[in-house]
Amino acid sequence: MAQVVLKDLVKTYGSIYAAKDVSLTVNDGEFVALVGPSGCGKTTTLNLVAGLIPITSGDIVIGDRVVNDLDPKDRDIAMVFQNYALYPQKTVFQNLAFPLQMRKLGKSEIDTKVREAARVLDITHLLERKPRELSGGQQQRVALGRALVRDPAVFLMDEPLSNLDAKLRVQMRSEIKRFHQDLNATIIYVTHDQLEAVTMADKMAVMNGGLLQQYDSPANVFANPVNMFVASFIGSPAMSLVPLEVASVDGAVALSSAEGWSLPLSDANARKVATAKSRKVVLGARHSTIRLHKQQVPGAVPARVYTVEPTGDITFVQAFLAGAVVNISLPPTAEVAPDDQVWLEFDQERIHLFDGETEMALRAS
Amino acid sequence: MTSTAQSGAPRGARRIDGWRWAGRIFLAFMLLYTALPMVWMLLTSIKSGFAAMQFPPQWWPSEPTLASYQKLLDPQNSVGQDFLRFFWNSLFVSTVTTILAVAVAVPAAYAFSRFRFPGRKFLFFAVLLRNMFPAVIFLVPLFILMRWLGLVNTHGSLILTYLTFGLPLAIWLLKGFYDNIPFQLEQAARIDGATRFQAFLYIVMPLSVPGIIATAIYSFIGAWNEYIYAATFLTKNEQLTLPVGIQRFFSENTTDFPGLMAASFMMSVPVVVLFLLLQKYFVRALTEGAVKH
Amino acid sequence: MTILEGPAGAPRKPVIRQPGLLSQMWTARADYLYVLPAIVVMLIVIAYPVYYTIDLSFFKTPPGLQLRDKVFVGTENYTAILSSDVFWKVTLNTVIWTVASTLIAFVLGYASALALHRDFAGRAVLRAILIIPWVISAVAASYIWKWMYHSDFGIIGAVMVQLGLVDRQPNFIDNVHTVLPSLIVVNIWREFPFAMIMIMAGLQTVPEQLLRAARVDGASAWQRFWHVTFPYLSGVSTVTILLLAVANFNSFIVPWITTGGGPSNASHIWITHIYELAFGRQRWGVAAAYSVLLFIIVMSLGYFYVRALSGNERKEDSP
Repeated sequence: MAQVVLKDLVKTYGSIYAAKDVSLTVNDGEFVALVGPSGCGKTTTLNLVAGLIPITSGDIVIGDRVVNDLDPKDRDIAMVFQNYALYPQKTVFQNLAFPLQMRKLGKSEIDTKVREAARVLDITHLLERKPRELSGGQQQRVALGRALVRDPAVFLMDEPLSNLDAKLRVQMRSEIKRFHQDLNATIIYVTHDQLEAVTMADKMAVMNGGLLQQYDSPANVFANPVNMFVASFIGSPAMSLVPLEVASVDGAVALSSAEGWSLPLSDANARKVATAKSRKVVLGARHSTIRLHKQQVPGAVPARVYTVEPTGDITFVQAFLAGAVVNISLPPTAEVAPDDQVWLEFDQERIHLFDGETEMALRAS
Repeated sequence: MTSTAQSGAPRGARRIDGWRWAGRIFLAFMLLYTALPMVWMLLTSIKSGFAAMQFPPQWWPSEPTLASYQKLLDPQNSVGQDFLRFFWNSLFVSTVTTILAVAVAVPAAYAFSRFRFPGRKFLFFAVLLRNMFPAVIFLVPLFILMRWLGLVNTHGSLILTYLTFGLPLAIWLLKGFYDNIPFQLEQAARIDGATRFQAFLYIVMPLSVPGIIATAIYSFIGAWNEYIYAATFLTKNEQLTLPVGIQRFFSENTTDFPGLMAASFMMSVPVVVLFLLLQKYFVRALTEGAVKH
Repeated sequence: MTILEGPAGAPRKPVIRQPGLLSQMWTARADYLYVLPAIVVMLIVIAYPVYYTIDLSFFKTPPGLQLRDKVFVGTENYTAILSSDVFWKVTLNTVIWTVASTLIAFVLGYASALALHRDFAGRAVLRAILIIPWVISAVAASYIWKWMYHSDFGIIGAVMVQLGLVDRQPNFIDNVHTVLPSLIVVNIWREFPFAMIMIMAGLQTVPEQLLRAARVDGASAWQRFWHVTFPYLSGVSTVTILLLAVANFNSFIVPWITTGGGPSNASHIWITHIYELAFGRQRWGVAAAYSVLLFIIVMSLGYFYVRALSGNERKEDSP
């Protein structure tokens, strides 16, 4: 196993940046998820690390070698593809054996290693089958096996679960996590599903528009998103974002809406707002931090219920607030109906404030 | 149809049945149009010369005979000698053309499908455009070229020429097949330790066998049936291929219709058998190359 | 936010050097090795002949002169062609031949594919039989039909006499009025299977869901065809029609073997006419000038051909 360092990695297609100045370090044995919407550059970044596409500039270091110009085969990596990319004409055994044959291992050694990998992944009974005779989950396991059998320095995984059905995905998620823990493997894992990233990864790298937005542990990314993109991308349902204006009400700093109400800020939040470039500030709050009242209470602001979605143990409510949609979670016993007039109370300790112009999170100076 | 209509099926169902019947009648007509000439060829070929020239025609030969076939296939007889030689020439030229076309087209089609080198589109269309040119444009200059290469009256001249129209088709068909092989397979192979060429050789080639078979059939049939270059480049009797040989022979024996029909039948046998055996590849090749959206 | 589209919005690393064409070609040099053999073969046998034909079209080879003793005559060959009656006659024949063969073969092939799309007993056999005419040699096909059209013993005329449609054997291919339609029938016989295969393949790609949706919306069989299947197959149809048109425009064997262009040029089309000028009458220069004109027409057809084909290009990253 080895660490992977990306330094100012750039990939351009013509004048389009697919990846721009991506720098991050994946420590030995770490599970890092590259996450972002489609087209954000995460798969490009993975392919750059794999050597499947040439880099435009920057450096890739695997272990202690700069691998910029090395062929994929010489980078000591293994990769699991979204569509598994199992060789259709080969049996499972031959699929697993292929990377070893390419490295010119002896027949008996190949046999031992393949059987060992098959045992670990519980696919021994499938060794003589062809990929098309396997279920999606079994194919997935074979693809993992083909990566595992080589004992590579780094595992690269490109949306390996997105072709599976929901139930199998949850199961394979924990298996991959187990796989990581048992092998103490260095894994770079691409996904568009933030839930996969949050549940499995040690660190997540959130990308958008070819740029690395934030690189931190899932807990920190969740708690302190650096900008509105990260805030809205991580967490489900998404963080509610309400555009407001800074105002002074009775000598105190407050956020006011076009609807006429205003929300006084705590001192800590007032200091953050003071750093904003203009009066435009966006209020962010996660569903679990908002309290819903059916009567007016001090400090709460008026909103109108739009939809009510009971899911069993939690009921999600969407409400209109100052022209934005706000998500709130309630216990299933709550009695709310669409079009109800309600009042929302924000937890000053747990709200997020963003600069309305730069979209960056506001921090107290 | 009537039973469902009477039992009160909705009008839509009756109309669909109407279309079905129209389809059947149409297919019957097409079967007649397609098969009648072939049947008539066979029936004529087993008549005597006298029986073939009757009015009104003998629909069914009164005294069927295989004499025409015996004559064509008898190596003792001069007609048979010629015919068997033509047959062998055609087989040789078509086989060598096919092997070469596939050997050259496989890497080219793969490159056109996978690589993004500058000029790729231009080259691909330049190759495809060859199919747009009529053979006649090439006849005189190619004849001169062949004379310069010393290939006139050799089968080499035909093989080289057939490659020029066999190749674009072969490249086009094979590219369709390669386009349908996920490129992640090669990526996987390269990560598994293969060079780009090894990935092509060990992973892609075995998967494209159906495409190669289909391409080979097309090349073979095209070469087997070619007439105009063979008629121009070959003058010596012992070099001729079947279409030209038969044409020369029967332009001197204009009334031997059973013989002509037997020869036409014999000439069609190899390609029709090839087609019937490998039908599924044959049709699939067009599906993959031309029809994908 | 901070989505950067290009160098304009890239403050920290302003210079991303775009590699030049030559360096791109150098990077991709190994790729060219794969296409090199094909390109070499094509160059020898395309570029040279095209050049030679254009050159030859400005020369004349009067009777008795060898090809190498040709005389430069400028554009005389071209003016001679455009002012001759035969040229316009042959051009009209070519247009009729190409348009009629293409359209009828396409319609018959399309209809056959539709009729064969539904499963029924014997479908595979029927399909194979319908494709055979496309496989067998055009020379054989020409002889078979020539024999069926025979003025004394031809089966088609005999059937017509037996049915009382005509008094005596019609002379299909020795009659200036019937020869071209008769040959078109032969040509269509050979070509409709191609259209049929293409459309059959296309039909497999029509999503069943679309047809079901149309059915739920109350569309009749005809409406489903007209509003779903037909538009869905427009791409394949275009390619098919273009390929047929090019093949017909360039066809040679059927008219040449069956009639040799006669009687009195009634079945000459461009290709047979050029062939006769060159190899029959040794008028190489005129034939070359004809070829150049033909070439120009074919190239303009080729523009559409390439456009239709490139519609099928995939847009994906290379490995």
